[in-house]
Amino acid sequence: MNIGLPGAGVGGLYYLACAAFMPIKESFLTLTRPDHQFRYRLVITQLSIASGIILGLVLMYQLIKALFGLEQLLSAQLDSNNLVFYSLLPILISSALLLIILGLVELFAFFSKKRQPGVDS
Amino acid sequence: MLDNSTTKNSLSENYQERGTCPVTVIVPAYNEADCIADTVNSLLNQTLSPEVIIVIDDGSTDSTADICHDLGVTVITPPQNTGSKAGAQNYALSHIETEFTLAIDADTTLKSDALEKLFAAMDDPEVVAACGFVIPQFVNTLWERGRYVEYLMAFTFYKEVQEYYEKPLISSGCFSLFRTEYLQQVNGWSLRTMAEDMDLTWTAYQLGKKVRFIPSAICFPIEPHNFDFMRKQLKRWAHGFIQNVRLHWKGILHVPFLRSIVAVMCWDASIASIFYLMLLPLLSITVSPLFLLGYIIDLPMILVPTLIKAYSRGETWKALSSIPAFMVLRVVNSAIFLEALFKEIVLKKTLTTYEKGH
Repeated sequence: MNIGLPGAGVGGLYYLACAAFMPIKESFLTLTRPDHQFRYRLVITQLSIASGIILGLVLMYQLIKALFGLEQLLSAQLDSNNLVFYSLLPILISSALLLIILGLVELFAFFSKKRQPGVDS
Repeated sequence: MLDNSTTKNSLSENYQERGTCPVTVIVPAYNEADCIADTVNSLLNQTLSPEVIIVIDDGSTDSTADICHDLGVTVITPPQNTGSKAGAQNYALSHIETEFTLAIDADTTLKSDALEKLFAAMDDPEVVAACGFVIPQFVNTLWERGRYVEYLMAFTFYKEVQEYYEKPLISSGCFSLFRTEYLQQVNGWSLRTMAEDMDLTWTAYQLGKKVRFIPSAICFPIEPHNFDFMRKQLKRWAHGFIQNVRLHWKGILHVPFLRSIVAVMCWDASIASIFYLMLLPLLSITVSPLFLLGYIIDLPMILVPTLIKAYSRGETWKALSSIPAFMVLRVVNSAIFLEALFKEIVLKKTLTTYEKGH
């Protein structure tokens, strides 16, 4: 069950970040819990998928740049010294947006009272 | 019932040796004569057999009940049509005497070891629900192809990440195993939202219980094959999601990770959908046609997990050729969500009528 825009937006970015964090969390669990075994297969698979996606996005950007002459177009309209910054701008905006959303949720969680879920009678 | 304390084996290993497990399968069915035999046969041919199989014939006017009788499974009939899948499942709940309940849709078949794999999740007493990997049974029409890509992508990447952080978003309604005690505790499948599976899952988390996703337990539902059925299903899901967020938001704020995935999902489904459906076309007309690239720029996000899974199943070309269908489905999904959001929040028109999506 997927709602709205599966694959796009800050959701995609969030899952990439979560996959990237897996080895760190897994290492921590392995070190702190004696009965925990490092789940290599799961972590490597998800990390590979996340890496593949990031690589794919870079290639996609290069392809678009080559096909549509994006660099010339941008340099004609923007300060050519900051082209790298402008290229990274969508990712920076998305990351900032994701951090704001997650930060707000954590803030709400901190200030809200815990309650038990209601059930149908 | 086996006494787990007398042996070193886990609960699931003990039952594997016997070949049966204390599971009652409930199959709500309304006019499912075309597919119910496949569903029941796949249940009868499990490597780990369920103790009881109950088909709830919810007022069918076709031969659903006769087919089930011929296959030797129990058929129960409510006094009148219950009006929803949840209603039929709740009717069956009072007939269940086993420790576990498997809920499966009448149009869903299982891989032969699906129950065995899913049952192993119940070794952990804190787990109250477990679900598996979903792959459409038929992949022919545009809508089925779109759904095929969506599931390969979501179950290979999103759901695996959710499982790693111990919070699968939903224990899918089409194929899930539950502790019967938990179902009784929450009075079964709630009718208060259009997405009872999401309601049940989020309630479990708030009660401190665990839900698992077992990717090796595979099921094959029949997905909507035309626009009319797809629209009904997406509408039900979109309204159901909004209803669940409204119902549970205070509770899930205290469930780490779940609150984050629901928050980003809310953002993507609403704000990103507006951007996708309205702002991008507008910018491409008024500023530059290059903004149309926004529709394909995230293609690797879809392609990579989808093709990895498709390759392992020997279905690379099928997945690759289905990508355009997914792009169409995504647009329709966004539009239907925005419509649902407008109706639920602005017009305060809550969807209460269950329309069968397939």
